[in-house]
Amino acid sequence: MRRLARGLAALALFGVPAAASEDLVSGLSQDTVEITSNYTGTDIVVFGAIEHLEDAGVNDVVVIVRGPDANMTVRKKDRVAIIWLNRDQAVLQGLPSYYYLASTRPLSAIAARDTLQRYGIGVGNLAPEKIISHHDPEPFRQALIRHKEQDGLYGETPAGVEFLSPTLFRVHVPVPATVPRGQYNAEVYLFRDGNVISAQSTPLFIDQTGLERRLYNFAHSSPMSYGVSTVLMAMFLGWLSSVLFRRNN
Amino acid sequence: MEIYLPIAEMSVHWLIILGMGAAVGFLSGLFGVGGGFLLTPLLIFYGVPSAVAVATTASHITASSISGAITQWRKRALDLKMGLVMSGGGLVGTVFGVWLFGVMRRSGQMDLVVSASYVVLLGTVGGIMLNESLGALRAVQGGAPPPGRRSGQHLWLHGLPIKMRFRESRLYISVIPPIVIGFFVGALSAIMGIGGGFVIVPAMIYLLRMPTNVVMGTSLFQIIIVTAATTILQATSNFAVDIVLALFLIVGGVVGAQLGVRAGERLRGEQLRLLLALLVLAVAIRLLFGLVVEPGELFSVATVAP
Repeated sequence: MRRLARGLAALALFGVPAAASEDLVSGLSQDTVEITSNYTGTDIVVFGAIEHLEDAGVNDVVVIVRGPDANMTVRKKDRVAIIWLNRDQAVLQGLPSYYYLASTRPLSAIAARDTLQRYGIGVGNLAPEKIISHHDPEPFRQALIRHKEQDGLYGETPAGVEFLSPTLFRVHVPVPATVPRGQYNAEVYLFRDGNVISAQSTPLFIDQTGLERRLYNFAHSSPMSYGVSTVLMAMFLGWLSSVLFRRNN
Repeated sequence: MEIYLPIAEMSVHWLIILGMGAAVGFLSGLFGVGGGFLLTPLLIFYGVPSAVAVATTASHITASSISGAITQWRKRALDLKMGLVMSGGGLVGTVFGVWLFGVMRRSGQMDLVVSASYVVLLGTVGGIMLNESLGALRAVQGGAPPPGRRSGQHLWLHGLPIKMRFRESRLYISVIPPIVIGFFVGALSAIMGIGGGFVIVPAMIYLLRMPTNVVMGTSLFQIIIVTAATTILQATSNFAVDIVLALFLIVGGVVGAQLGVRAGERLRGEQLRLLLALLVLAVAIRLLFGLVVEPGELFSVATVAP
């Protein structure tokens, strides 16, 4: 969110006409993802169209779905005597909890590195807003990205933008089972000759619903009753089993 | 079918969780232990965050201890006064343990402390049990009678001040040792997600010199009080209890426990203790490997609340 705002400010600063966003329209297959009891991850589709397509110049589309920012602690294990334990740590603030990018071509072919960095485009170009660490933070940042990629929470598909016609495109965005809840943003960037000429952002909400939501709220709003309920449930089931199995004998 | 755990925030396969509960329940019925020391590591190996694993296992132990306690209560094989005194210490220990748990979780040493306490405790208890059950087996083969309780013997612990009479246990001893034992087990329960039966039972027999017929009922009583308190405190201070996970574990667990009790009736006590000792040592060794072998990934990531 913040980064997009910064990006758009940069857009204005570099003298690109604001009306440029009329070149691009985009939307989502759904504006909410509901985490239900059998939720195992899903796919959402970001689609869009480029209008007033000019033949002059090279057009590229980059689609990013960004999760809410989070503060993350990265810890590094070290051997102390014979035991491996967490020693050094770095707190990285303001990195997205989820990040998926699809583009028409590899990012390095689309724009210069400093342009990509300015908009936070590309997993490798994500920079935390603040780092609290006594050590060189770079290995910690890379470890965080590696972890997120393994968990399917950060991803990049260089040829993930599928063109259905010269102007109409769509992107399948995988949303794994472990996504954090919150407000997401689907951002679509239109590049021409290495410059952002248009950008659009659409919000997307991911949240628990139904019973899961109620249980989560119950656990956080009245933890005492929640804990007592869990204990009563345990006691009831324990008692029930002793009654049921006694009759069977 | 996968189910989504609202507190752990992950999906798990319900059959796996039910099966884990049943397998641990079976062993707990077989050996007469709560089984927390197996369930917590199993859940962690499966990928459940260790905080949720520890906190949720407590409620599983409450459930699996209830039916045993009911049976003992009917037989009046329970020293209620001793149980209450130990639970008093246990509740203070639980509060301390849950506080320590929160501190460790914030400082990133949670996994280390959990693993290290498991290795130390299970290694010690498993080693003692192995040694003892091997000795008992040899004695049985040699035809010597197993050593019984020599009544009237007192340890220096019993002479501490604030003496109290425990009629069912036929003891007149200081309340300090039971309170300290209760405190220690309560803290372990909160940190390790165990009931602590395999610590309380030997402590009652060898330190307090309680008669064996009331040991089982009294320890189950104390375990229920302490694990119930642990569940509530973990829910209120660490938000780490997952009720959906608990439900599946308990349903599997109580059924497994009943089957385990039946299977246990066909095995001899010494053989059971030997098997349990080997199992406890195996878990300890597995966790020890995790601590001393260089991990494939040195970095770990934790999301901190904003």
